[in-house]
Amino acid sequence: MVLSIRERLVRLLSQEQSGYVSGQWLSDELSCSRTAVWKHIKQLEEEGYTFDAVPNKGYRLVALPKHMTENTLRWNLSSDWLGQSIEHYPSIDSTQVRAHERARAGADEGLVISADQQLNGRGRMQRPFDSTDAKGVWLSFILRPQLAPTEAAKLTLVTAVALVDTFKQMINLDVKIKWPNDIYLNQKKIAGVLTEMEAEMDQIHYVIVGIGVNLNQRTSDFDPLLQDRVTSLFEETGETLDKQVFIQRLLETFEKWYTVFLTEGFVPIQKEWNRYVFKLNQPVYFLKQNERVKGLVQGLSAEGALVVVIEEHEHVKLYSSDIEWFRGE
Amino acid sequence: MFNITDVKQLIEAVDASSIRELSYEGEEGKLTLRKDTHQTTHTAVQQPATVEPTLAPVEQKPVNDEAVAVNSEKEVNYDHVIHSPMVGTFYLTSSPDTPPYVEVGDTVTEKSVVCIIEAMKLFNEIEAEVDGTIVEILAKNGELVEYNQPLFGIKKA
Repeated sequence: MVLSIRERLVRLLSQEQSGYVSGQWLSDELSCSRTAVWKHIKQLEEEGYTFDAVPNKGYRLVALPKHMTENTLRWNLSSDWLGQSIEHYPSIDSTQVRAHERARAGADEGLVISADQQLNGRGRMQRPFDSTDAKGVWLSFILRPQLAPTEAAKLTLVTAVALVDTFKQMINLDVKIKWPNDIYLNQKKIAGVLTEMEAEMDQIHYVIVGIGVNLNQRTSDFDPLLQDRVTSLFEETGETLDKQVFIQRLLETFEKWYTVFLTEGFVPIQKEWNRYVFKLNQPVYFLKQNERVKGLVQGLSAEGALVVVIEEHEHVKLYSSDIEWFRGE
Repeated sequence: MFNITDVKQLIEAVDASSIRELSYEGEEGKLTLRKDTHQTTHTAVQQPATVEPTLAPVEQKPVNDEAVAVNSEKEVNYDHVIHSPMVGTFYLTSSPDTPPYVEVGDTVTEKSVVCIIEAMKLFNEIEAEVDGTIVEILAKNGELVEYNQPLFGIKKA
Protein backbone atom coordinates (compact mmCIF):
# COMPACT_ATOMS: atom_id res chain seq x y z
CA MET A 1 0.00 0.00 0.00
CA VAL A 2 1.03 3.56 -0.53
CA LEU A 3 1.87 5.54 2.55
CA SER A 4 1.20 9.25 2.59
CA ILE A 5 4.18 11.60 2.84
CA ARG A 6 3.26 12.33 6.41
CA GLU A 7 3.12 8.67 7.32
CA ARG A 8 6.51 8.13 5.71
CA LEU A 9 7.88 11.18 7.49
CA VAL A 10 6.77 9.82 10.85
CA ARG A 11 8.35 6.49 10.04
CA LEU A 12 11.66 8.00 8.96
CA LEU A 13 11.87 10.11 12.08
CA SER A 14 10.78 7.33 14.40
CA GLN A 15 13.52 5.05 13.08
CA GLU A 16 16.08 7.64 14.08
CA GLN A 17 15.03 8.42 17.60
CA SER A 18 18.46 8.85 19.07
CA GLY A 19 19.79 11.32 16.55
CA TYR A 20 18.73 14.15 14.31
CA VAL A 21 17.71 13.82 10.68
CA SER A 22 18.49 16.66 8.33
CA GLY A 23 15.75 18.41 6.43
CA GLN A 24 17.69 17.82 3.23
CA TRP A 25 17.88 14.07 3.78
CA LEU A 26 14.15 13.99 4.53
CA SER A 27 13.33 15.97 1.41
CA ASP A 28 15.44 13.56 -0.67
CA GLU A 29 13.85 10.48 0.89
CA LEU A 30 10.34 11.84 0.49
CA SER A 31 10.96 13.44 -2.91
CA CYS A 32 9.55 16.76 -1.84
CA SER A 33 10.95 20.19 -1.10
CA ARG A 34 12.42 21.15 2.27
CA THR A 35 9.63 23.68 2.63
CA ALA A 36 7.13 20.88 2.16
CA VAL A 37 8.90 18.83 4.83
CA TRP A 38 8.68 21.80 7.16
CA LYS A 39 4.96 22.18 6.43
CA HIS A 40 4.34 18.50 7.16
CA ILE A 41 6.27 18.81 10.39
CA LYS A 42 4.12 21.79 11.40
CA GLN A 43 0.95 19.85 10.63
CA LEU A 44 2.15 16.88 12.63
CA GLU A 45 2.88 19.22 15.52
CA GLU A 46 -0.68 20.41 15.37
CA GLU A 47 -1.76 16.80 15.72
CA GLY A 48 0.30 16.50 18.86
CA TYR A 49 3.66 15.20 17.64
CA THR A 50 6.58 16.89 19.33
CA PHE A 51 9.79 17.56 17.41
CA ASP A 52 13.10 18.98 18.37
CA ALA A 53 14.34 21.15 15.50
CA VAL A 54 17.97 22.30 15.67
CA PRO A 55 19.57 24.45 12.96
CA ASN A 56 22.27 22.58 11.00
CA LYS A 57 21.30 19.30 12.65
CA GLY A 58 17.71 18.79 11.62
CA TYR A 59 14.70 17.21 13.20
CA ARG A 60 14.26 14.70 15.95
CA LEU A 61 10.93 13.11 16.95
CA VAL A 62 10.52 13.60 20.66
CA ALA A 63 6.99 12.44 21.32
CA LEU A 64 4.00 10.98 19.58
CA PRO A 65 0.66 12.70 19.88
CA LYS A 66 -0.85 12.29 23.26
CA HIS A 67 -4.26 13.40 22.25
CA MET A 68 -5.94 11.27 19.72
CA THR A 69 -9.39 12.67 19.18
CA GLU A 70 -12.47 11.66 17.29
CA ASN A 71 -11.53 14.22 14.68
CA THR A 72 -7.98 13.08 14.18
CA LEU A 73 -9.20 9.49 14.00
CA ARG A 74 -11.79 10.22 11.35
CA TRP A 75 -9.43 12.39 9.37
CA ASN A 76 -8.16 10.36 6.41
CA LEU A 77 -10.27 7.36 7.37
CA SER A 78 -11.45 5.89 4.08
CA SER A 79 -13.84 3.24 5.35
CA ASP A 80 -17.46 3.34 4.22
CA TRP A 81 -19.14 2.80 7.56
CA LEU A 82 -16.79 1.30 10.15
CA GLY A 83 -15.55 4.13 12.36
CA GLN A 84 -17.40 6.85 10.51
CA SER A 85 -19.11 7.16 13.81
CA ILE A 86 -16.55 7.04 16.60
CA GLU A 87 -16.19 7.82 20.28
CA HIS A 88 -12.70 8.25 21.61
CA TYR A 89 -11.87 8.47 25.30
CA PRO A 90 -8.55 9.43 26.89
CA SER A 91 -9.48 6.99 29.62
CA ILE A 92 -12.37 4.56 30.04
CA ASP A 93 -13.23 1.52 32.13
CA SER A 94 -13.62 -0.73 29.13
CA THR A 95 -14.35 0.02 25.48
CA GLN A 96 -16.18 -3.32 25.34
CA VAL A 97 -18.58 -2.44 28.13
CA ARG A 98 -19.28 0.98 26.58
CA ALA A 99 -19.91 -0.60 23.18
CA HIS A 100 -22.43 -3.00 24.75
CA GLU A 101 -24.24 -0.05 26.32
CA ARG A 102 -24.36 1.79 23.02
CA ALA A 103 -25.52 -1.30 21.12
CA ARG A 104 -28.30 -1.98 23.62
CA ALA A 105 -29.40 1.62 23.24
CA GLY A 106 -29.71 1.03 19.50
CA ALA A 107 -26.43 2.36 18.07
CA ASP A 108 -25.83 1.59 14.42
CA GLU A 109 -23.45 -0.95 12.97
CA GLY A 110 -19.99 0.56 12.65
CA LEU A 111 -19.80 2.63 15.83
CA VAL A 112 -16.26 2.45 17.20
CA ILE A 113 -15.35 3.04 20.83
CA SER A 114 -11.64 3.60 21.31
CA ALA A 115 -9.52 4.70 24.23
CA ASP A 116 -5.97 5.70 25.00
CA GLN A 117 -6.25 3.84 28.23
CA GLN A 118 -8.58 1.23 29.68
CA LEU A 119 -8.74 1.10 33.45
CA ASN A 120 -10.58 -2.18 33.56
CA GLY A 121 -9.91 -3.85 30.25
CA ARG A 122 -11.60 -7.20 29.80
CA GLY A 123 -10.15 -10.36 28.36
CA ARG A 124 -11.73 -13.72 27.86
CA MET A 125 -13.80 -14.96 30.79
CA GLN A 126 -13.38 -11.60 32.52
CA ARG A 127 -9.65 -12.05 32.77
CA PRO A 128 -8.06 -8.69 33.35
CA PHE A 129 -6.47 -7.38 30.23
CA ASP A 130 -3.53 -5.03 30.59
CA SER A 131 -4.44 -2.05 28.48
CA THR A 132 -3.53 0.87 30.67
CA ASP A 133 -0.81 2.03 28.33
CA ALA A 134 -1.56 4.74 25.79
CA LYS A 135 1.04 3.23 23.48
CA GLY A 136 -1.32 0.40 22.62
CA VAL A 137 -4.51 0.24 20.54
CA TRP A 138 -7.69 -0.48 22.45
CA LEU A 139 -11.01 -0.41 20.66
CA SER A 140 -14.37 -2.11 20.28
CA PHE A 141 -16.96 -1.83 17.56
CA ILE A 142 -20.55 -2.79 16.89
CA LEU A 143 -21.66 -5.12 14.10
CA ARG A 144 -25.18 -6.09 13.21
CA PRO A 145 -24.70 -8.84 10.64
CA GLN A 146 -27.59 -10.54 8.87
CA LEU A 147 -26.23 -13.96 9.73
CA ALA A 148 -27.56 -16.99 11.49
CA PRO A 149 -26.19 -16.93 15.04
CA THR A 150 -24.50 -20.26 14.33
CA GLU A 151 -22.37 -18.57 11.67
CA ALA A 152 -21.32 -15.69 13.89
CA ALA A 153 -18.38 -17.48 15.50
CA LYS A 154 -16.55 -17.20 12.19
CA LEU A 155 -16.33 -13.46 12.79
CA THR A 156 -13.48 -14.16 15.20
CA LEU A 157 -11.53 -15.62 12.27
CA VAL A 158 -12.46 -12.70 10.02
CA THR A 159 -11.04 -10.37 12.68
CA ALA A 160 -7.80 -12.34 12.84
CA VAL A 161 -7.38 -12.13 9.07
CA ALA A 162 -8.05 -8.37 9.15
CA LEU A 163 -5.45 -7.87 11.89
CA VAL A 164 -2.76 -9.78 10.01
CA ASP A 165 -3.56 -7.90 6.82
CA THR A 166 -3.26 -4.59 8.70
CA PHE A 167 0.14 -5.51 10.11
CA LYS A 168 1.28 -6.59 6.66
CA GLN A 169 0.24 -3.26 5.16
CA MET A 170 2.11 -1.25 7.75
CA ILE A 171 5.32 -3.21 8.00
CA ASN A 172 6.75 -6.40 6.61
CA LEU A 173 6.34 -8.88 9.43
CA ASP A 174 6.09 -12.61 9.89
CA VAL A 175 2.91 -12.55 11.98
CA LYS A 176 0.98 -15.72 12.74
CA ILE A 177 -2.54 -16.50 13.91
CA LYS A 178 -2.95 -18.71 16.93
CA TRP A 179 -6.35 -20.30 16.52
CA PRO A 180 -8.81 -18.76 16.49
CA ASN A 181 -7.77 -15.14 16.74
CA ASP A 182 -4.62 -14.31 18.71
CA ILE A 183 -1.87 -12.64 16.72
CA TYR A 184 1.69 -13.78 17.37
CA LEU A 185 5.03 -12.42 16.35
CA ASN A 186 8.22 -14.35 17.14
CA GLN A 187 6.30 -16.73 19.45
CA LYS A 188 4.87 -13.89 21.51
CA LYS A 189 1.43 -12.34 21.50
CA ILE A 190 1.05 -8.87 20.04
CA ALA A 191 -2.70 -8.64 19.55
CA GLY A 192 -5.84 -10.19 20.99
CA VAL A 193 -9.53 -10.18 20.23
CA LEU A 194 -12.65 -10.55 22.35
CA THR A 195 -15.89 -11.07 20.43
CA GLU A 196 -19.24 -11.03 22.15
CA MET A 197 -22.71 -11.48 20.77
CA GLU A 198 -26.29 -10.98 21.79
CA ALA A 199 -28.60 -13.16 19.82
CA GLU A 200 -31.79 -15.14 19.85
CA MET A 201 -32.27 -18.50 18.15
CA ASP A 202 -32.69 -17.07 14.69
CA GLN A 203 -31.43 -13.52 14.91
CA ILE A 204 -28.33 -11.65 15.97
CA HIS A 205 -29.07 -8.49 17.89
CA TYR A 206 -25.49 -7.33 17.75
CA VAL A 207 -21.88 -8.41 17.92
CA ILE A 208 -19.12 -6.48 19.68
CA VAL A 209 -15.59 -7.03 18.44
CA GLY A 210 -12.94 -5.86 20.89
CA ILE A 211 -9.35 -5.56 19.73
CA GLY A 212 -6.16 -4.90 21.64
CA VAL A 213 -2.84 -4.35 19.90
CA ASN A 214 0.53 -3.87 21.56
CA LEU A 215 1.98 -1.29 19.27
CA ASN A 216 4.63 0.92 20.80
CA GLN A 217 5.04 -0.35 24.34
CA ARG A 218 8.42 -1.29 25.73
CA THR A 219 8.86 -4.66 27.40
CA SER A 220 9.17 -2.85 30.71
CA ASP A 221 5.66 -1.46 30.21
CA PHE A 222 4.20 -4.97 30.51
CA ASP A 223 3.34 -6.83 33.64
CA PRO A 224 6.52 -8.73 34.64
CA LEU A 225 4.51 -11.95 34.68
CA LEU A 226 3.62 -11.51 31.04
CA GLN A 227 6.92 -10.29 29.70
CA ASP A 228 8.01 -13.65 28.29
CA ARG A 229 4.65 -14.19 26.57
CA VAL A 230 3.78 -10.75 25.29
CA THR A 231 5.53 -8.33 23.04
CA SER A 232 4.91 -5.18 21.06
CA LEU A 233 5.53 -4.24 17.50
CA PHE A 234 8.15 -1.77 18.66
CA GLU A 235 10.04 -4.40 20.68
CA GLU A 236 10.18 -6.78 17.74
CA THR A 237 10.97 -4.29 14.98
CA GLY A 238 12.39 -1.17 16.59
CA GLU A 239 9.84 0.87 14.69
CA THR A 240 7.31 3.19 16.20
CA LEU A 241 4.10 3.09 14.24
CA ASP A 242 1.61 5.90 14.19
CA LYS A 243 -1.20 4.58 16.35
CA GLN A 244 -3.84 6.65 14.65
CA VAL A 245 -2.83 5.45 11.20
CA PHE A 246 -2.80 1.87 12.48
CA ILE A 247 -6.36 2.24 13.79
CA GLN A 248 -7.53 3.71 10.51
CA ARG A 249 -5.93 0.95 8.46
CA LEU A 250 -7.37 -1.63 10.84
CA LEU A 251 -10.91 -0.29 10.47
CA GLU A 252 -10.64 -0.08 6.69
CA THR A 253 -9.14 -3.56 6.49
CA PHE A 254 -11.71 -5.12 8.79
CA GLU A 255 -14.48 -3.56 6.74
CA LYS A 256 -12.97 -5.08 3.60
CA TRP A 257 -12.73 -8.64 4.98
CA TYR A 258 -16.11 -8.45 6.70
CA THR A 259 -17.66 -7.53 3.35
CA VAL A 260 -15.82 -10.40 1.68
CA PHE A 261 -17.18 -12.78 4.33
CA LEU A 262 -20.77 -11.55 3.98
CA THR A 263 -20.78 -11.55 0.19
CA GLU A 264 -18.47 -14.41 -0.78
CA GLY A 265 -18.71 -16.63 2.27
CA PHE A 266 -16.09 -18.23 4.44
CA VAL A 267 -13.84 -19.80 1.80
CA PRO A 268 -11.72 -16.67 1.09
CA ILE A 269 -11.34 -16.12 4.85
CA GLN A 270 -10.28 -19.72 5.42
CA LYS A 271 -7.78 -19.48 2.59
CA GLU A 272 -6.22 -16.28 3.91
CA TRP A 273 -6.20 -17.53 7.51
CA ASN A 274 -4.37 -20.67 6.45
CA ARG A 275 -1.45 -18.59 5.16
CA TYR A 276 -0.56 -17.61 8.73
CA VAL A 277 -1.01 -20.71 10.87
CA PHE A 278 0.74 -20.45 14.24
CA LYS A 279 2.55 -23.71 15.14
CA LEU A 280 1.87 -25.29 11.77
CA ASN A 281 2.85 -28.97 11.97
CA GLN A 282 3.85 -28.47 15.57
CA PRO A 283 2.30 -30.21 18.56
CA VAL A 284 -0.51 -28.93 20.74
CA TYR A 285 -2.35 -30.82 23.47
CA PHE A 286 -6.06 -31.18 24.03
CA LEU A 287 -8.61 -33.36 25.79
CA LYS A 288 -10.16 -36.20 23.87
CA GLN A 289 -12.56 -38.41 25.79
CA ASN A 290 -10.96 -37.02 28.94
CA GLU A 291 -7.52 -38.07 27.81
CA ARG A 292 -4.77 -35.63 27.01
CA VAL A 293 -3.83 -36.08 23.38
CA LYS A 294 -1.08 -34.62 21.26
CA GLY A 295 -1.93 -33.37 17.79
CA LEU A 296 -0.04 -31.61 15.06
CA VAL A 297 -1.59 -28.36 13.89
CA GLN A 298 -2.83 -28.52 10.27
CA GLY A 299 -4.86 -25.34 9.85
CA LEU A 300 -8.40 -24.09 9.66
CA SER A 301 -11.35 -26.25 8.53
CA ALA A 302 -14.23 -25.02 6.39
CA GLU A 303 -16.28 -24.69 9.59
CA GLY A 304 -13.66 -22.60 11.33
CA ALA A 305 -12.33 -25.38 13.54
CA LEU A 306 -8.67 -26.01 14.18
CA VAL A 307 -7.64 -29.19 12.39
CA VAL A 308 -4.99 -31.28 14.09
CA VAL A 309 -3.68 -34.67 13.09
CA ILE A 310 -3.19 -37.26 15.79
CA GLU A 311 -1.73 -40.75 15.64
CA GLU A 312 -2.44 -42.90 12.60
CA HIS A 313 -3.15 -39.84 10.51
CA GLU A 314 -6.53 -39.27 12.05
CA HIS A 315 -7.72 -35.71 11.56
CA VAL A 316 -9.57 -34.11 14.42
CA LYS A 317 -11.37 -30.79 14.48
CA LEU A 318 -11.11 -28.70 17.61
CA TYR A 319 -13.73 -26.11 18.48
CA SER A 320 -12.96 -25.50 22.11
CA SER A 321 -10.46 -22.87 23.06
CA ASP A 322 -9.16 -25.22 25.74
CA ILE A 323 -5.99 -26.14 23.90
CA GLU A 324 -2.55 -26.27 25.46
CA TRP A 325 -0.23 -24.47 23.12
CA PHE A 326 2.93 -24.12 25.14
CA ARG A 327 3.51 -27.38 26.99
CA GLY A 328 7.11 -27.93 27.94
CA GLU A 329 8.33 -24.61 26.65
CA MET B 1 -54.57 -37.47 46.33
CA PHE B 2 -51.25 -35.78 46.72
CA ASN B 3 -50.94 -32.32 48.12
CA ILE B 4 -49.35 -30.13 45.46
CA THR B 5 -47.16 -28.31 48.01
CA ASP B 6 -45.83 -31.62 49.31
CA VAL B 7 -45.03 -32.81 45.81
CA LYS B 8 -43.26 -29.58 45.06
CA GLN B 9 -41.18 -29.93 48.21
CA LEU B 10 -40.42 -33.50 47.31
CA ILE B 11 -39.27 -32.47 43.84
CA GLU B 12 -36.99 -29.84 45.31
CA ALA B 13 -35.56 -32.28 47.79
CA VAL B 14 -34.85 -34.85 45.07
CA ASP B 15 -33.43 -32.15 42.85
CA ALA B 16 -30.98 -31.07 45.52
CA SER B 17 -29.98 -34.64 46.37
CA SER B 18 -27.81 -37.12 44.54
CA ILE B 19 -30.80 -39.45 44.15
CA ARG B 20 -31.83 -40.03 40.58
CA GLU B 21 -35.09 -41.81 41.10
CA LEU B 22 -37.57 -41.96 43.94
CA SER B 23 -40.68 -44.07 44.17
CA TYR B 24 -43.21 -43.65 46.89
CA GLU B 25 -46.41 -45.54 47.52
CA GLY B 26 -48.90 -44.71 50.20
CA GLU B 27 -52.53 -44.04 50.89
CA GLU B 28 -52.48 -41.05 48.58
CA GLY B 29 -51.38 -43.09 45.61
CA LYS B 30 -48.18 -43.89 43.84
CA LEU B 31 -45.55 -41.35 42.87
CA THR B 32 -42.30 -41.77 40.97
CA LEU B 33 -39.82 -38.97 40.53
CA ARG B 34 -37.00 -39.44 38.09
CA LYS B 35 -34.33 -36.87 37.43
CA ASP B 36 -33.37 -35.99 33.94
CA THR B 37 -29.83 -37.24 33.53
CA HIS B 38 -27.66 -35.76 30.88
CA GLN B 39 -24.65 -37.97 30.87
CA THR B 40 -22.93 -36.03 28.17
CA THR B 41 -19.23 -36.57 28.51
CA HIS B 42 -17.88 -33.42 27.10
CA THR B 43 -14.49 -33.31 25.59
CA ALA B 44 -12.44 -30.68 23.89
CA VAL B 45 -13.40 -32.22 20.60
CA GLN B 46 -16.65 -30.93 19.34
CA GLN B 47 -18.51 -32.30 16.41
CA PRO B 48 -19.17 -29.70 13.77
CA ALA B 49 -22.63 -28.81 12.62
CA THR B 50 -21.75 -29.60 9.06
CA VAL B 51 -19.37 -32.38 8.33
CA GLU B 52 -16.74 -32.99 5.76
CA PRO B 53 -16.75 -36.74 5.55
CA THR B 54 -13.21 -36.92 4.25
CA LEU B 55 -11.71 -35.12 7.18
CA ALA B 56 -13.18 -36.42 10.34
CA PRO B 57 -14.90 -39.60 11.38
CA VAL B 58 -17.88 -38.10 13.07
CA GLU B 59 -20.55 -39.59 15.20
CA GLN B 60 -23.41 -37.19 15.13
CA LYS B 61 -24.48 -36.54 18.65
CA PRO B 62 -28.24 -36.30 18.82
CA VAL B 63 -29.67 -33.16 20.27
CA ASN B 64 -30.58 -33.98 23.80
CA ASP B 65 -34.22 -33.13 24.10
CA GLU B 66 -34.93 -35.38 27.05
CA ALA B 67 -35.11 -32.24 29.04
CA VAL B 68 -38.14 -30.91 27.22
CA ALA B 69 -39.88 -34.24 27.18
CA VAL B 70 -39.52 -34.61 30.90
CA ASN B 71 -40.52 -38.00 32.19
CA SER B 72 -44.20 -38.25 32.30
CA GLU B 73 -44.18 -39.08 35.99
CA LYS B 74 -42.66 -35.73 36.74
CA GLU B 75 -44.80 -32.71 36.35
CA VAL B 76 -43.19 -30.02 34.27
CA ASN B 77 -43.23 -27.01 36.47
CA TYR B 78 -41.87 -24.55 33.94
CA ASP B 79 -43.55 -23.09 30.91
CA HIS B 80 -40.67 -21.51 29.05
CA VAL B 81 -37.46 -23.12 27.86
CA ILE B 82 -34.34 -21.25 26.81
CA HIS B 83 -32.56 -23.08 24.01
CA SER B 84 -28.99 -22.70 22.83
CA PRO B 85 -28.78 -20.65 19.63
CA MET B 86 -25.48 -22.29 18.69
CA VAL B 87 -23.09 -25.14 19.27
CA GLY B 88 -20.63 -24.23 21.98
CA THR B 89 -19.51 -24.45 25.57
CA PHE B 90 -22.07 -23.58 28.23
CA TYR B 91 -20.88 -21.31 31.03
CA LEU B 92 -22.99 -20.45 34.03
CA THR B 93 -20.42 -17.99 35.34
CA SER B 94 -18.58 -15.16 33.66
CA SER B 95 -15.30 -16.38 35.15
CA PRO B 96 -14.21 -19.24 37.40
CA ASP B 97 -14.13 -16.89 40.40
CA THR B 98 -17.51 -15.26 40.09
CA PRO B 99 -20.87 -16.59 41.24
CA PRO B 100 -23.21 -17.99 38.58
CA TYR B 101 -25.41 -15.59 36.65
CA VAL B 102 -28.48 -17.38 37.94
CA GLU B 103 -29.41 -20.19 40.26
CA VAL B 104 -32.59 -22.21 40.62
CA GLY B 105 -35.17 -20.04 42.32
CA ASP B 106 -33.78 -16.77 41.02
CA THR B 107 -36.14 -14.23 39.57
CA VAL B 108 -35.16 -13.02 36.13
CA THR B 109 -36.40 -10.39 33.77
CA GLU B 110 -36.52 -10.51 30.00
CA LYS B 111 -33.09 -8.86 29.79
CA SER B 112 -31.30 -10.83 32.52
CA VAL B 113 -28.20 -12.61 31.30
CA VAL B 114 -28.51 -16.24 32.36
CA CYS B 115 -25.42 -17.84 30.82
CA ILE B 116 -22.74 -17.62 28.16
CA ILE B 117 -22.25 -19.93 25.19
CA GLU B 118 -18.75 -19.83 23.74
CA ALA B 119 -17.68 -21.08 20.34
CA MET B 120 -14.35 -20.30 18.74
CA LYS B 121 -13.94 -17.45 21.22
CA LEU B 122 -17.22 -15.85 20.31
CA PHE B 123 -19.00 -15.27 23.59
CA ASN B 124 -22.75 -15.26 23.38
CA GLU B 125 -24.60 -13.82 26.35
CA ILE B 126 -27.96 -15.53 26.58
CA GLU B 127 -30.87 -13.55 27.97
CA ALA B 128 -33.88 -14.96 29.78
CA GLU B 129 -36.31 -13.71 27.08
CA VAL B 130 -39.16 -13.71 29.60
CA ASP B 131 -39.85 -12.46 33.10
CA GLY B 132 -40.07 -15.31 35.57
CA THR B 133 -38.29 -17.69 37.87
CA ILE B 134 -35.54 -20.14 37.04
CA VAL B 135 -36.98 -23.55 37.81
CA GLU B 136 -34.39 -25.81 36.33
CA ILE B 137 -30.91 -25.56 34.86
CA LEU B 138 -30.78 -28.19 32.15
CA ALA B 139 -27.10 -28.09 31.17
CA LYS B 140 -23.93 -28.40 33.19
CA ASN B 141 -21.37 -25.64 33.55
CA GLY B 142 -18.59 -26.29 31.04
CA GLU B 143 -20.69 -28.74 29.05
CA LEU B 144 -20.65 -28.76 25.28
CA VAL B 145 -24.16 -27.94 24.13
CA GLU B 146 -25.76 -28.53 20.78
CA TYR B 147 -27.78 -26.16 18.68
CA ASN B 148 -31.29 -25.92 20.13
CA GLN B 149 -30.41 -27.83 23.28
CA PRO B 150 -32.59 -26.76 26.23
CA LEU B 151 -30.60 -24.77 28.78
CA PHE B 152 -33.08 -23.46 31.33
CA GLY B 153 -36.64 -24.07 32.39
CA ILE B 154 -38.42 -20.90 33.49
CA LYS B 155 -41.77 -20.44 35.15
CA LYS B 156 -43.16 -17.27 33.63
CA ALA B 157 -44.23 -14.56 35.98
